[in-house]
Amino acid sequence: MKYFGKKLVSLIITLFMVSVATFIAFQIIPGDVVTSILGTEATEEREAQLREELGLDKPVVERYVNWMGGVLKGDLGTSYRYSKSMNEMMPVAELIGDKLPVTLWLAAIALVLIIVISIPLGVLWAHSSSKFLDAFLGVMTQGAMAVPSFFLGVLVIYIFGIVMKMFTPGSYISYHTSFAGFLGYLIFPAIAIAIPKIAMTARFLRNAMLGELKQDYVRTAYSKGCSKNRVMYGHVLKNAMMPVITFVGMIIAEVVAGSIVVEQVFSLPGIGRLLISSISTRDFPVVEILVLYIAFVVIFVYFIVDMLYRVLDPRISGR
Amino acid sequence: MIKIEDLSVSFQGRTAVEHVSFSIEPGEIIGIVGESGSGKSVTALTLMGLLAEQASVDSGRVTFDDTVLLEAGRSIDKRLLQKFQGSRMSMVFQEPMTSLNPTMKVGKQVEEVLQLHTELKGEEARKKVLSIFDEVGLKNSDMVYESYPHQLSGGMRQRVMIAMALILEPELIIADEPTTALDVTIQAQIIALLKEINKRHHNAMLFITHDLNLAKTLASKIMVMHHGQIVETGTPEEIFTNPQDDYTKMLISAVPQRKKRTCNNAAQRNQKSSAAKGLKSFEEDEDNRKSIAEQIIENLQNVEKEHQEQCVQNGSREILRVSDLDVFYKEGNNSLFGGKKKKQVVNGADFSIYEGEVLGLVGESGCGKTSLSRAILGLNQNYSGQIQHFTERPQMIFQDPYSSLNPAKTIGWLLEEPLRVQKVGKDDRKQAAMEMLAKIGLDETYYRRKPSELSGGQRQRISIGQALITRPHFVIADEPVSALDVTIQAQIMDLMMNLKEEMGLSYLFISHDINIVYQISDRIMVMKDGTIIEMGETEELFSNPREEYTKILLA
Repeated sequence: MKYFGKKLVSLIITLFMVSVATFIAFQIIPGDVVTSILGTEATEEREAQLREELGLDKPVVERYVNWMGGVLKGDLGTSYRYSKSMNEMMPVAELIGDKLPVTLWLAAIALVLIIVISIPLGVLWAHSSSKFLDAFLGVMTQGAMAVPSFFLGVLVIYIFGIVMKMFTPGSYISYHTSFAGFLGYLIFPAIAIAIPKIAMTARFLRNAMLGELKQDYVRTAYSKGCSKNRVMYGHVLKNAMMPVITFVGMIIAEVVAGSIVVEQVFSLPGIGRLLISSISTRDFPVVEILVLYIAFVVIFVYFIVDMLYRVLDPRISGR
Repeated sequence: MIKIEDLSVSFQGRTAVEHVSFSIEPGEIIGIVGESGSGKSVTALTLMGLLAEQASVDSGRVTFDDTVLLEAGRSIDKRLLQKFQGSRMSMVFQEPMTSLNPTMKVGKQVEEVLQLHTELKGEEARKKVLSIFDEVGLKNSDMVYESYPHQLSGGMRQRVMIAMALILEPELIIADEPTTALDVTIQAQIIALLKEINKRHHNAMLFITHDLNLAKTLASKIMVMHHGQIVETGTPEEIFTNPQDDYTKMLISAVPQRKKRTCNNAAQRNQKSSAAKGLKSFEEDEDNRKSIAEQIIENLQNVEKEHQEQCVQNGSREILRVSDLDVFYKEGNNSLFGGKKKKQVVNGADFSIYEGEVLGLVGESGCGKTSLSRAILGLNQNYSGQIQHFTERPQMIFQDPYSSLNPAKTIGWLLEEPLRVQKVGKDDRKQAAMEMLAKIGLDETYYRRKPSELSGGQRQRISIGQALITRPHFVIADEPVSALDVTIQAQIMDLMMNLKEEMGLSYLFISHDINIVYQISDRIMVMKDGTIIEMGETEELFSNPREEYTKILLA
């Protein structure tokens, strides 16, 4: 319980520092939201009026405190750029709420692919004594890790969309229209995200297992009369999973925080694209919340990894 | 019962075992004795069918009753071996911490043997495991069953290993250095347990060790291995009283013996007892430990004073004085809010070291002997009490010659390093290094070699050279020979003795092995749980130990 308390306090402190850093960064980078909205031709009066509307005429500290107060009350603010109707700006919560499911579902599908494929692949790789398979997987995973993700995205579109005609590129179906169609379209960007991660995880697991196989307890297991399968699945796998969990945790954080490049290539309206466009239009309220979201996801996933360790490795919980 | 005929094993062309033949009869305990690399472990692993994949059996075969388990030129039948492994023959390994799966409850690990070879399941299997735990002397067998390896002590882990090996009452148990990683007092218990098991179950035992004395206490037959060959076989009496082979003779002479020593400074001093008086109760009386400890300390202080007076009379200079020393270390807490805990590791140490004297410090792992030396060296500033150096700071000789030398540098560079710190000129440095090489018994060609080209004994010579090149008066040696083979140990001990006479050194000699300390020390301190519980002239302490604990160490 004390442990949870500590974790919670450090989470809050980290989020606070991230929010301040983002706020300061926005003060420093050149470019002004007012000029970006009105263009360079606007009159000074119009500019001043807009500045007042957005609250930009107030001192920096006051603006931060107002914004923070709003966030703490659950009001995430309104976007500077996205409008809901003719005379109402889009609330940030609504804006992100609309795009978040796309990223989360994309991440979920990608993660299922990563875990379901990479772990058996890694075990098979460590297990096999076939030199051919070893060399083959070595080359394949190296290739998959080396190819940049945008190119992989293009490749997936070409193979699955144009050659095999399994989906129509660019025909994103919103989850409001058809959920099944939405998921069906997301599978392909998810493949593009998953391929390099599968390669990395499988390779990592294989190396961890080969390392574990050199340990003394493996010899003990054989001396009891265990078969190779039993040694692999009964003894080695669990120990080898320890470092892999950390690694998968890093991947999860990365994927859930948004796969900017892949969303761009497949023109998905997810968090990653929103972040890019908001930064370029200096839409501060949106960027600030997105950065906080990413920071939160990363910290939260690491927290879960930490918990998993405690469950799986008795040496840690014992301390 | 088991026959090994003309067995040869090699690893990628390098022969590890050469034409070894012997047989094991039911109920017999055979000791295989040899130094590292002699092929004793490889022989055992071959017998068990646990050879690594790179190994190849070049000749010979292993038969168990009438079954051929292994034969040169035939592929290994893993199914057949798995039937024998764990049920008819089993193995106890050296390092019980790493030999048990760290993330599996030890009860489950023992139960796995039952799952593999019997029909026992569930509650029945558990009962059987608990009863075997009782038999190997594990108290609270329920609790042990549910424990993970890291929650048990070294001795308990080794008992779990033995339980695992014993549970199906195999005809043969192979024990590969089962006590080497354990403290002396635990060693004795494990050896007694193995003996008892052998008596009760009449299973044959193959006991592998580097320690001739240990083999003598346990085995009915001893085989001495050297360079992959069995050089001599015989009963312990035959081996010890009438060794035939030269290597065996050397091995026996290298074993630390408590022979009467001639010529030491202690003999010149008054032989009067300086051991702490009449305080045997430290062990028994849990409640009053603190006051008893204080009493011991006070007595020892008196002893020290006497010793000091004598030394001053003899004209010996005091080199180091430690008074009323408590050493602590901080248990770090890396989180943002964690406080630091202080843990006391040395309690009221009080002693002096005089010119030309060797003071031995004996104790088991975790007793605080290394913490004491670190405080004296100034590496741990977290202490109370006084440490007075009357000469320059002491130099240090470390335990592990494999990891304490920088592998990227040449021997010459390493030897010169302490002088470089002192800004000695280049030519003088080189000359000093050359002289030191001669002193430590290595020729000039070693100047340009790298540590990886040297054997363990040669590396330890370099460590000694590094410590002595600044011509210190006082050297702390922390387990300087523990990582070395027996014959090499003897050479290094000789070297240290000679250098001491030649350079007029004083040593604080730290070891867990009281027999090694005996060879070199004028006085000995015995340390337990952070307190020096006994201190005395070497001969006096050996012939007339006061504390129960010292007696156990001497046994």
